[in-house]
Amino acid sequence: MHYALNKLAYGGLLILGVTLVSFSLMVWFGPDQTYTLIGKNASAEQIAEVRQQLGYDQPFAMRYGRFLVDLVTLNLGASNSSGEQVYSILKKTIPVTLALMIPGFILGNLLGIALGLLATYKKDQWIDRLITGLSVTGMSISFLVVIIFLQVLMCTPYGLNLFPVRGWQVTDLASYLHYVTVPTLSLVIIALGYNTRFYRAVFVEEAGKDHIRTAKAYGASPVTILWRHVLKNSMVPIITRFMFSIPLIVISGSLLIESYFGIPGIGKVTFDAITSGDQPVLKAIVGLTAVAFILIQIATDFIYKLVDPRIA
Amino acid sequence: MTCWGKLNPVILSDNKPLYKFLTIAALVVGAACDSTSPTQETGDRGYSIYRHSMDGAPSSLDPAQASNIYANFLAVNLYDTLYRYKYLARPYQLEPNLADGLPQVSSDGLIYTIRIKPGVHFIDDPAFPAAKGRALRAEDFVYSIKRQFDPKTRAQGAWLWQNRIVGLDEWKENGSDYSLEVPGLKALDERTLQIQLISPFPQLTHTLAQGYSAIVPREAVDHYGQEFAIHPVGSGPYRLQMFNSAGAVLVRNTGFRQEPFNLEAEGFDPGVHGGFELEALEGLTVPFTDRIEVEFIAEDASRWNSFLAGELDFIKVPVTQFDQVLESREPLSLHPALAEKYHLLANLESGFVHTDFNMDDRRIGYHPEPQQNVRNKALRCAIIKAFDWPKRNEVFYYGIGQVFPGIIPPAAPEFDEKQSMAPVQRDLEGARMLLDQHDWNPSNLPVLEYGFPSSVTERQMFEQFRSFLGDIGYPAEKVRPMTFASYGDYARAYLNRDVMLITIGWTMDYPDAENTVQLFFGPNSSPGSNSANYNNEEFDRLYRSGSSLQASPMRTTMYRNMNRIVIDDCATISGVSRKMILLWNRELRMLPDRSFVGGFFFRFVHTGDAGTNPGEPAQ
Repeated sequence: MHYALNKLAYGGLLILGVTLVSFSLMVWFGPDQTYTLIGKNASAEQIAEVRQQLGYDQPFAMRYGRFLVDLVTLNLGASNSSGEQVYSILKKTIPVTLALMIPGFILGNLLGIALGLLATYKKDQWIDRLITGLSVTGMSISFLVVIIFLQVLMCTPYGLNLFPVRGWQVTDLASYLHYVTVPTLSLVIIALGYNTRFYRAVFVEEAGKDHIRTAKAYGASPVTILWRHVLKNSMVPIITRFMFSIPLIVISGSLLIESYFGIPGIGKVTFDAITSGDQPVLKAIVGLTAVAFILIQIATDFIYKLVDPRIA
Repeated sequence: MTCWGKLNPVILSDNKPLYKFLTIAALVVGAACDSTSPTQETGDRGYSIYRHSMDGAPSSLDPAQASNIYANFLAVNLYDTLYRYKYLARPYQLEPNLADGLPQVSSDGLIYTIRIKPGVHFIDDPAFPAAKGRALRAEDFVYSIKRQFDPKTRAQGAWLWQNRIVGLDEWKENGSDYSLEVPGLKALDERTLQIQLISPFPQLTHTLAQGYSAIVPREAVDHYGQEFAIHPVGSGPYRLQMFNSAGAVLVRNTGFRQEPFNLEAEGFDPGVHGGFELEALEGLTVPFTDRIEVEFIAEDASRWNSFLAGELDFIKVPVTQFDQVLESREPLSLHPALAEKYHLLANLESGFVHTDFNMDDRRIGYHPEPQQNVRNKALRCAIIKAFDWPKRNEVFYYGIGQVFPGIIPPAAPEFDEKQSMAPVQRDLEGARMLLDQHDWNPSNLPVLEYGFPSSVTERQMFEQFRSFLGDIGYPAEKVRPMTFASYGDYARAYLNRDVMLITIGWTMDYPDAENTVQLFFGPNSSPGSNSANYNNEEFDRLYRSGSSLQASPMRTTMYRNMNRIVIDDCATISGVSRKMILLWNRELRMLPDRSFVGGFFFRFVHTGDAGTNPGEPAQ
């Protein structure tokens, strides 16, 4: 209980810090939306009207204070661009992003772990080099190139023409698979390089430890060593990587995937809010991301204790 | 929800890990199912679909904020405007839309009386009592224009009527109280409205064909509040079914007035339009298509792939694909493989791109010392002479843009085809001579700051500009980029007169050169649309006289004189009208229009055999 309270207090301070930094960036370096909202031939008076409506004429401290109050009371307001309630925007787009990103996220991590284990098992052999080489290649290819290549290959008459280039008209599992397959493949291809490299490094380090040598000396099979000793004892970095990716997936989504595949998720909304300076939307996303990170951090600490009781 | 009906029986009946996983997956899928999103159907779907792509997206569907082409296209189809433009006639001609005829104008040109068609209803919507759309009244138009002057609306179209309509500006000054009447804006009865102008404004009827002037019901604005922008309630040919960051779906408004299509009245010319099979549309009821799916696709590659995959019926071809699409530029023709499937149209934009000198900047513009003023003008003229328009056109517009001198673009009816092209012909000798004559040399030339929002293309344009100036000996280090993170930041800077060289594109709001010459009218200086902050007494005098005249040869001459004045003053490097390559499915009977006033064409799209039963209600 004491631990949880400590974490919450620490989390509160962290949220304060994160929101202060991001709000400062938004206010001083973010786009001024006034000039995209005024019409042609606007007078100085009309510009002042819009600035006042956007709250730009308020002192910084007052605006920041208002932001915190709104965040605490979950009064997210309405988008300055569309007038739509921010809560409603999030409610519509976050589930779409989750449905879009989760398969790729899970597959990318599972395959990364599997390939990492295989490379560790075959360390310094050709298969390890092949996996490492492919991982580096995967990391080197632009996400955009992968998306366009897969679109041409899988979705156009120049390729297999099996899936739609764009859209998200999901009504059942079949249509979901129809729309999510190519984006998922893109995500997996991109994530796999990074994940495999990371997990391999973790596993190789673990495999070099004394307890593994002891297990080998006792005659444990390679599968047992990899599964019960290497993987199990590598769970802390795996959980860290896995857990801290979650808020980014939930809140930020993937701008490129959503833009190129025409999927109305939170990534595109975030990008539009950043480039247009739509502060109510940005404030909500920044605030919720900060809260999500704190919660994930607390949850991660608990999970650490579960997988490794030695952690205090 | 249909999603759950199909998933629940399978996944909620077992506790095995696989089923647990599927349950979680189904929860996510279920939450992600958009119950309002359309089903992709083909073949015997029973209704016709037209799938349109846009290279940008509107953020609001409130007509008061229909300031860009994307928003305007949707606004004029979801709402009614009093007037529209004829489908096929070029130059554009006004046509009554909701109005039952052209306005009756008093002899002094100050009072416009307009009757609206009978029996027009707003769509059914919860905003109305019993959710039943009521009859549209002249009072709704009065309300809609008043909204433009209500600061709470954050309207972007008020400038069209500012200082034009008797009492409207005062109404705003007095607090935008809707219970107060505006003397110059009256509903004489349910179907008659009267507009009284402060001074003649012949372009008024054009403004009544803009999305801004679309008629909204007060009940809906009150009911939805800020979210009215995403809950359009109009009387146009379509109603909104779905709208998000990726697209919009419009379905036929079954209550839309039954109006037969008259080919001749729409400006059909067999010589021009003969190949599009539009003759078959004669007498059909508008709108022809049950459902319009609009995809917002900013990414060129994705838009092109989607079009090739047959997911779209129409595309504005990305410039990067021109080489693959066109077999020849002169005359423009498609590659044979594409020509079998698609129609081609080269659509000259109703607008132009130009680079203004900030005349308020003493280093390049007006200077209080007459001698320096003359030197600055010589410098501007030398820069214009150094500008290589053919190269700009070739590199950035595939060589098919139309370069012209001055500020009246080819799409304007007042454009002079016979004018001298000398102002847009490169003259390096003349430029160097001007610099020498006015004692400009590399050491005393001012630093030029060329502003642009950050992007690769804009940067390339800047580099090209710098190279042009290098050819007349302008030191490269004295031509500097001034970049901005977003267009909003760039606009803020130039509207605050902080940018020395301002490159902008202007899209004409209506087909009248008044809309472009006003860009150089002194009182419109920044933060108005005169971003050059140009100020010329003779120009302003001509503008004041000419803008109040009805279209006539005399007015055209006045506009052309104004064009000449701007050219002679070397106030802007201008200009080029871009040409867009439009492709659409040959099965469709339509003529697309990508100009600002072109959105009305949606109602005239006929899917041919692609769909069925045009004229029947949407499913």
